[in-house]
Amino acid sequence: MPFIRRQWTSKEADEWTREDTITVIISPIVYVLLMVGTALSMLLIPAGFAILAAGIVLMLVMIWIINPKLSSVSEGYEKKQKGYIEELERTIKWED
Amino acid sequence: MVHFAFLDWFWLVAFVLLMIGSGALFYRLGKRSEADFFLAGRGLPWWLPASSVYATHTATDTPMWVAGVVYKHGLAGLWYGFFAAWCAISAFVSTKIFRRSLAYSQAEWQTLRYGGMPAELLRGWVAGWQVFLNMFILGWVGIAMGKVCYFLFGWPPWMGLTIFSTLCAVYVLAAGYWGVVMADFQQGIIAFVAIAFVSIWGMHAAGGPHAIVEKLHEMGLSRMLNPFSFSGFTGGDFPVAWFITMLFIGILGGLGMATAIDWFPEAQRIQSARTVKDASWCIWAGQALVVTRNALWGAAILGFFVLYPDLTQVKDYEMAWFRLGFETLPVGMIGFFFAAIVAIHLSTISTHLNLGAVYITRDLYHHYINPKADQRRLVWVGRVGTVILLVGSFIFGSIMENITEWLIFALWIMAAGVWLPGILQVIWWRFNGWGYLTAWIFNLVFSWLVVWVLPAFGVIPHLRDYQQFWLLMFLGAVVFIPVTLLTKAESMDKLVKFYVMSRPVGWWGPVRREAERRGLL
Repeated sequence: MPFIRRQWTSKEADEWTREDTITVIISPIVYVLLMVGTALSMLLIPAGFAILAAGIVLMLVMIWIINPKLSSVSEGYEKKQKGYIEELERTIKWED
Repeated sequence: MVHFAFLDWFWLVAFVLLMIGSGALFYRLGKRSEADFFLAGRGLPWWLPASSVYATHTATDTPMWVAGVVYKHGLAGLWYGFFAAWCAISAFVSTKIFRRSLAYSQAEWQTLRYGGMPAELLRGWVAGWQVFLNMFILGWVGIAMGKVCYFLFGWPPWMGLTIFSTLCAVYVLAAGYWGVVMADFQQGIIAFVAIAFVSIWGMHAAGGPHAIVEKLHEMGLSRMLNPFSFSGFTGGDFPVAWFITMLFIGILGGLGMATAIDWFPEAQRIQSARTVKDASWCIWAGQALVVTRNALWGAAILGFFVLYPDLTQVKDYEMAWFRLGFETLPVGMIGFFFAAIVAIHLSTISTHLNLGAVYITRDLYHHYINPKADQRRLVWVGRVGTVILLVGSFIFGSIMENITEWLIFALWIMAAGVWLPGILQVIWWRFNGWGYLTAWIFNLVFSWLVVWVLPAFGVIPHLRDYQQFWLLMFLGAVVFIPVTLLTKAESMDKLVKFYVMSRPVGWWGPVRREAERRGLL
């Protein structure tokens, strides 16, 4: 099995896996790199461009890792959504 | 005072008409149902709510407080805006869980997670709190516009507060969330272009990027260029201890719900996304734009600093970005800049008008007062709620003095005592409604005591904001954890239903095993 899995059934995608862990570690780092890199790049400080580029690359890596899993989660859930919405509308009538 | 030429007025009038017109165009869609008026029918692709997240969190007061902290601390001040990092985690954890619940609001979610009396009390409490908080936010953002108009035209602040909020209410009343999100899309684009353009122009007026860097070195203030320049671990006015606390709150907060005041508008955007995936990416991308925008402002404020390094009053330097625009842009572009400020302003006002109305309509009227109301009536209640919020915001706006002080109070303190329970309710099956309700009530009591009352009477020293956070979190936990453990767990039926639908992460073992035993997983 590859280190990063990119094929999922919706049931498998509902579980927390290595891909989720890697994503939640990378994600805030991307925010830091985008913010710091943009500020320093605006001031034409060379390190800023390198930091910004690293942020963009890491963002693309993150999308590559997690997007297939998110697609599978969505696909599985949407099949059940209509029934869930009907159930939700019943719960608004709390006096029944 | 700024003089407007014909071209300036043209930009302003054209932009206002475009924004109101495009919002009002969606009148027919907005009035179809409660789900349309508040969630755009749950059918939006990720980039629409993402632009709304970005536009909403770009308010008239935002450049003021970014200017306030960057002028004082240099680029390290940008970390004040990094609370947005909760979205970095939330997009892949609590956003998915909340989207799957299908709750219109956080208040409604409480009744899906908890059962019985505490759930109903929580729903009423959170809804009432959110009506108040949205009025409060509308007031503080509105009065920021009042300040800008006073600076520009010499108008009394109430004029800037009332005129633009009322204009915004036109399309919110007409089209509800459809109007909000469609106007936000164009406002987000206008705002981003204007922020980039004015920031670059302002830096050019300060001599350009190289000159700004050189001047800071000459002034012996190279530290202002270092985003990691702190004043010691606990000492000074910007310590590492604050930074660690901010990262702790910002990043771990993404595991929970309602751990930041921004969660509540985001919750509406999450539910308006057409799929779980769209919800995740809308939150992630919207806040990525927010932190990038702060960086653009940060660099521009350094340009302002080298032009005016001796300002000591907050009210003088918090206007830095506005002054860069109005004092350096050529005639004809000033109106463009002001129109962009109006766009920034309307996007925030429209969101909070509609969001507050969700709680009035869905959680208070529909749930408690008239559960059998038809869709037409619910849309009208939404409109009445919008007007109530508008009028309330005028009252709040007229009594607010210092924006920065209120904002920092809100960011740190209003969330401090409910931050941990906001996480626990998502990741720990045993946390119950009584625990969460207790946390909310005691947080209000403790926050006012710790921040205002006890220091005023000399009982405790005046604590730094990050120290207040840890103390409030500890005080809250001392109350809500025993309350949770001494009261009954939620019923297993309720928990299994919630688990199967939302698939929360964390400590849900007993619930998961029960769901498997029932053949639901």
